[in-house]
Amino acid sequence: MSGMFVEVAPPTLPAPIVAPAAAGGRGRTARRLTRRLGRGVVPYLYLTPALGMLIVWTYRPLVETANYSFYSWNLSPTQPATPVGWHNYHRLFTLPELGDSVWRTVLMIVGLLPFTIVIPVVVGLLAREVRGRARSVYQALIFAPFLVAPVASAAVWQWLLSPRVGAVNRASGTSVNWFHEQWPALIAITGVTGWHVLGFAVLVVAAGLASINGDYAEAASVDGASRWQITRWLTLPLLSPTLVFLLMTTVLLFAPQWTFPLIDSLTQGGPVNATTNVYYLLWEYGFQSFDAGLASAAGVVFFLGFGLVAAVLLWISDRVTVHDD
Amino acid sequence: MSRITVENVTRRYGDVRAVDGVSLDVAHGDFLVLLGPSGCGKSTLLRMIAGLVPPSDGRVLVDGRDVTETPARDRDLAMVFQSYALYPHLTVERNIGFPLRARKQRKADIRRRVAEVADILDLGKLLDRRPRELSGGQRQRVALGRALVRDPGAFLMDEPLSNLDAQLRTATRTEITELHRRLGRTFVYVTHDQVEAMTMATSVAVLNRGRLEQVGTPTEVYDTPASAFVAGFLGSPPMNLLDAEIVTRDGRLHAVAAGVDVPLGLGEPGEQAQRPVTLGVRPEHLSLLPASVVAGPASEAGAPNGAAPAPAATLRGTVRAIENLGSEEIAHCRVGEAEVAVRARRPAGFTVGEAVVLTVRPEHIHLFDRESGRRLVWRPDRDAPVPAARVPVAT
Repeated sequence: MSGMFVEVAPPTLPAPIVAPAAAGGRGRTARRLTRRLGRGVVPYLYLTPALGMLIVWTYRPLVETANYSFYSWNLSPTQPATPVGWHNYHRLFTLPELGDSVWRTVLMIVGLLPFTIVIPVVVGLLAREVRGRARSVYQALIFAPFLVAPVASAAVWQWLLSPRVGAVNRASGTSVNWFHEQWPALIAITGVTGWHVLGFAVLVVAAGLASINGDYAEAASVDGASRWQITRWLTLPLLSPTLVFLLMTTVLLFAPQWTFPLIDSLTQGGPVNATTNVYYLLWEYGFQSFDAGLASAAGVVFFLGFGLVAAVLLWISDRVTVHDD
Repeated sequence: MSRITVENVTRRYGDVRAVDGVSLDVAHGDFLVLLGPSGCGKSTLLRMIAGLVPPSDGRVLVDGRDVTETPARDRDLAMVFQSYALYPHLTVERNIGFPLRARKQRKADIRRRVAEVADILDLGKLLDRRPRELSGGQRQRVALGRALVRDPGAFLMDEPLSNLDAQLRTATRTEITELHRRLGRTFVYVTHDQVEAMTMATSVAVLNRGRLEQVGTPTEVYDTPASAFVAGFLGSPPMNLLDAEIVTRDGRLHAVAAGVDVPLGLGEPGEQAQRPVTLGVRPEHLSLLPASVVAGPASEAGAPNGAAPAPAATLRGTVRAIENLGSEEIAHCRVGEAEVAVRARRPAGFTVGEAVVLTVRPEHIHLFDRESGRRLVWRPDRDAPVPAARVPVAT
């Protein structure tokens, strides 16, 4: 008897798996191909309604606008549109209104920032001290103006800001003719828009604050940080994505667009164009001067301009903000 | 230098008492582990010590000074959170230096101190990283570093190892114990993991439903659990707990149940000795009686066999399942209506479906009151003080 060592074999499958022979021939391959194609098509089918809406209501008008900007046309269906090349753009940049309206839009943005960022952050931080049901009531009260239709709020503010009997003038003891003097009109339009969107901004800030993990503030307080240090070093940096979002909304949405119904119902862009911002100018060109070509050219310019601003803001937001992960 | 005292502390959330009248004294340099299942109030208790949650009732004292109303930042304590709570926008260096920066120390001092701590925790190469660029273990060490940097009187830790994988957890356990030995500071450590409690603590406080069940060394809470809850919480598998009755037989006390007869080796029972109890035996204290002995003329009731000097405590049952742990095996047996686990070195000779007789030495029997769950200690003389040794029966 002579013994010997034998290696323990590594585990193997009992029998090699043989791929089943491809049976069936051409009919089956074709069917498989259609099935695979079908699978590929399905996601696009789901997307179709949304894409359709985008194409019909956004991209097609955009392309048409770009197209009209090279024509001279007074919007009358009976009048033909005549091609004029770059003439509309040339006019746009030589008229003084464009620069003025951009400047007024910038002023409105600056005037709105306290309402969309500063006050909401202060209110949001203070609101954290309000507990339970009182907090919901409080937030609902602040949010309420956002739900008022702009034209209705315009009517209310026209009355509040009326030169003789208006509550604002009576309370402050002044006699400013709010909607008929240049600076007061701009301030009033900005202020009423700010009042309008404040609730929305507060809500966004509250959501941003709520999404910050409470552990950070607790850890910092055990680490010896005061409330102000916690706010400055932790809460505000962690809130930065929310603040950049609000900045973007103010620049792209509130200042140019949300002011429109108020301007239209309160000042019609006056006095002496003092409240004509870019959107109102656009609208004036198109629907008061019936100059479709010029309005389209302005539309294209603003579209590109705002696109550029949005890109810059996005770039800043990627650079500056911190994300809690 | 910190001695932490908690006096009769209660925390209510609505009608729920998360912590209910807990009193504890943590001596300077102690490593106290608050142990209990989820929802037992251990984290709430720790947060009350930290000053993050105000107690509804009671006092918290640090070195004899009442800090119940003192804000967290003035308590000279450091805390490591379960989530680590590393500030996501700050580098490791700024995270660790944060407590010093909050105390307005000079930049150069902060830099030097952070470097020292980073050296201890082997974080030197990671100082410029942000938390999201770190692994779980590294984050955990940064959290430790932020606690260490200030040299606080005591360290509070809320399940600091629960987010680590098993291997890293074992390694970090040793590191924290080593840290405690080296710093000589007071540690209060919350966990639901009994292995952490047994291996790291100098004393363990077991909590259940907001109440303190027992405080003692790891050996004490394991060997002489003060309540059925502690007995059933510690050990893997935990202590077997069976409903039994104390009866007098031939002037001696026995704990009996279906399939169970345990002579307690106590004489002279008083008239009130008979009572319903919970009988406890650790799985490792049960042994399989050799077949030759079983085959002998043992009566069904398990009464003394004449020749035997002390009648053996026996549990009769059937093996239901066997778990192989490698070095040991666990046999799950059905004894009467109860499940009993037996832990023994392999091979232990169990077979599924087989009837078995298990024995246990009298000193390994634990008795608990059926109602209150508290441990029962035998007092031979009604007027004598409760003996220190853990002899069973009535208080």
